[in-house]
Amino acid sequence: MKPATLLRLALAGSGTDTLRVVFTAVSSALAGLTVLSAATVIAIPELGGPDSGSDGWNSQYRSSLLAEPGLRPGVVATLLLAAVPIVALAGQCVRFGSPGRDRRLAAIRLAGATPRQAVLIAAGETAMAATVGSIAGLGVYLVLHRVLHRPYADGRLPLPTDVLPSAPEVVGILLVVPVLAGLAAVLLLRKVIITPFGVVRRARGRKPSVLPGVLIIAGVFAPLMIRPFGEWLLTQNVVRGSTAFLIGATLMIVAAIVGVVIGTGWIAYTAGRVLRRYARRPGALLAGRQLMADPWSGSRTFASLLAAVIIGAGVYAYRSYLLTMFAATKQANALAGDGGGSFYDTGFYLGAIDLINVTIGIGAVIAAIGILVAVAEGIVSRRRAYAALVAQGVPRRTLGEALAWRAFAPLVPAVLIALSVGVGLIRTPLPAVSVTPRRCGGEPTQCVQLPELTLAVPVPFRDLALIGGSALVLMTLVVGAALLVLRTSTDLEELRTG
Amino acid sequence: MTVLLSGRDIEKSYGPTPALRRVDIEVGEGEIVAVTGPSGCGKSTLLHCLSGIMRADAGTVTYRDQDLGLWSEARRSELRRSEFGVLFQFGQLVPELTAAENVALPLLLAGSGRREARKSAMSWLERLDVGDLAEVPPGEMSGGQQQRCAVARALITAPRVLFADEPTGALDVLTGEQVLTGITEIARDRGMAVVLVTHEPRIAAYADREVTLRDGRVDATGLGLGLAS
Repeated sequence: MKPATLLRLALAGSGTDTLRVVFTAVSSALAGLTVLSAATVIAIPELGGPDSGSDGWNSQYRSSLLAEPGLRPGVVATLLLAAVPIVALAGQCVRFGSPGRDRRLAAIRLAGATPRQAVLIAAGETAMAATVGSIAGLGVYLVLHRVLHRPYADGRLPLPTDVLPSAPEVVGILLVVPVLAGLAAVLLLRKVIITPFGVVRRARGRKPSVLPGVLIIAGVFAPLMIRPFGEWLLTQNVVRGSTAFLIGATLMIVAAIVGVVIGTGWIAYTAGRVLRRYARRPGALLAGRQLMADPWSGSRTFASLLAAVIIGAGVYAYRSYLLTMFAATKQANALAGDGGGSFYDTGFYLGAIDLINVTIGIGAVIAAIGILVAVAEGIVSRRRAYAALVAQGVPRRTLGEALAWRAFAPLVPAVLIALSVGVGLIRTPLPAVSVTPRRCGGEPTQCVQLPELTLAVPVPFRDLALIGGSALVLMTLVVGAALLVLRTSTDLEELRTG
Repeated sequence: MTVLLSGRDIEKSYGPTPALRRVDIEVGEGEIVAVTGPSGCGKSTLLHCLSGIMRADAGTVTYRDQDLGLWSEARRSELRRSEFGVLFQFGQLVPELTAAENVALPLLLAGSGRREARKSAMSWLERLDVGDLAEVPPGEMSGGQQQRCAVARALITAPRVLFADEPTGALDVLTGEQVLTGITEIARDRGMAVVLVTHEPRIAAYADREVTLRDGRVDATGLGLGLAS
């Protein structure tokens, strides 16, 4: 198949495909904008010369996050982290509003297209839409770059609007977003067999094996391993202390997220069994059977949201650790007779953490949109079966109840576990803050070491409730929107149309 | 007559329900074979197995001495757009493409250039008297016009075997006969074999030979529709 044919077939969609294309383009524009912002921060020149290292501050920026070279990688990492669920959403859009596209792909398969060509056509559409979105994102970026270039009275800048990424970097970003979205689309279509008679989703109905259970346990206990693993890395003398911690922490965070996400399949299956055993209402019984029939659909759908919950809980736990450290320092200074002052710019550190939380919040909202896309797609693909149930007298309310049960039965325990894991990631290696105050006289030799002061790091229950509550509120909004889709999809006209 | 396509002991089930039970069938070069029988007897399933759209659970489907059961899905797809043509009752045209694009599709998927594919599509559309509808999407055509486009698409690659599953099922009698006359004339003209699935004796009468299925088995009682000579 020539590229021109692929292009024509990928863009053959009609009005019913518009929503999917728009979703893909908008999410790609957001992803492009986020990655370009990260590239802009990277483009800030290092002022430190060969003698001074890279410690020279870029004083043209008011925010220390931009001015201080040591903090900029954190800003870049946060922006890139935020781009991950956005790109995932762009890929996930391949599954939205799919019946019309499925009919088209089946007809193309009937004309002799191979399964690979059919997947290429579907992924091609995503990549095209993502390219348009990516270019639009660049346009928005350039406009914002100009509009936001407003120095304060002291001449300093609120944002790095005085630098731009290099042309090859911009081109690379414009290309990488559609490529990633296309790959995500291919990945999501891997369980979809596009046959000449329509698209069949291969549901993994078998009972989850022991492995997800092991993974979830590994995920829950991963935080316990951060410190020993980092120490082991140190004994190998191949990495420096900070690098060892970074590697250890990254691996454990990934293990924890994978454990929780994969474990959600197991949770969904177990929740399905419990519902089937104990539920009395038809909606709950229906949901129980559906959860058992495809327990992995939940873990696939909730992955981004659960990742956001884990990271959010971890960040709040770290905030709690910092607050404890500030309090301990203050108390130690008071004991030392320094008047209870602190060396730390607490506002700066807490502000930086709040900024990260805002980014995670945005990521969670985007993840929720992704869930809505997946849930709506699930409803639309089963619309004839739903319409048939309604025609036979099953109330729409029952179907709505089943939808809600199917969403919340696995999500509530998964969110609780995600919160525990997120807190554990920080609190397990850093359970308390210990400070040894020293009271000094006029001469340094006259310093007296006072008894060690140890403060336990409290669990930030209020913040965790906020994160968990926000996740459930987001899911409630998703279910509410999905109920509207359900209403239109159970129209009895669906029995007469393809 | 040289055997072009054959099925031996074909079995196929949908879950616990058997659709085909040890079916044997042969199709010679240039032969028109009607597969007949009542609804649910396995006619369409047999056509799908013979054309490589689906794999049989047991038995072999051989095309020019090659066992299609051993071929990958991709290779069978390539066969369907080169040496096989497939025609269904309805729903086979891509609604978003024009008639000419639909007809040219197998050639485009095989890597032909757009101009060359379009030229070939136009000649087939004109031969089937729908040349003036080249730029019209299927949704704006009548059932008969759509089916002629589908015939053009099935024949554009000059297949050696045409599989037609109730090709006139959605058409009125007159249009159905026009379409079928067109297919059989082209088949005779080009020496193309046709496997024609139908439950109508009137349609089966166009075939050289008739194979009747009953409950997933070839009916050996001789109680077929009996109209094919």
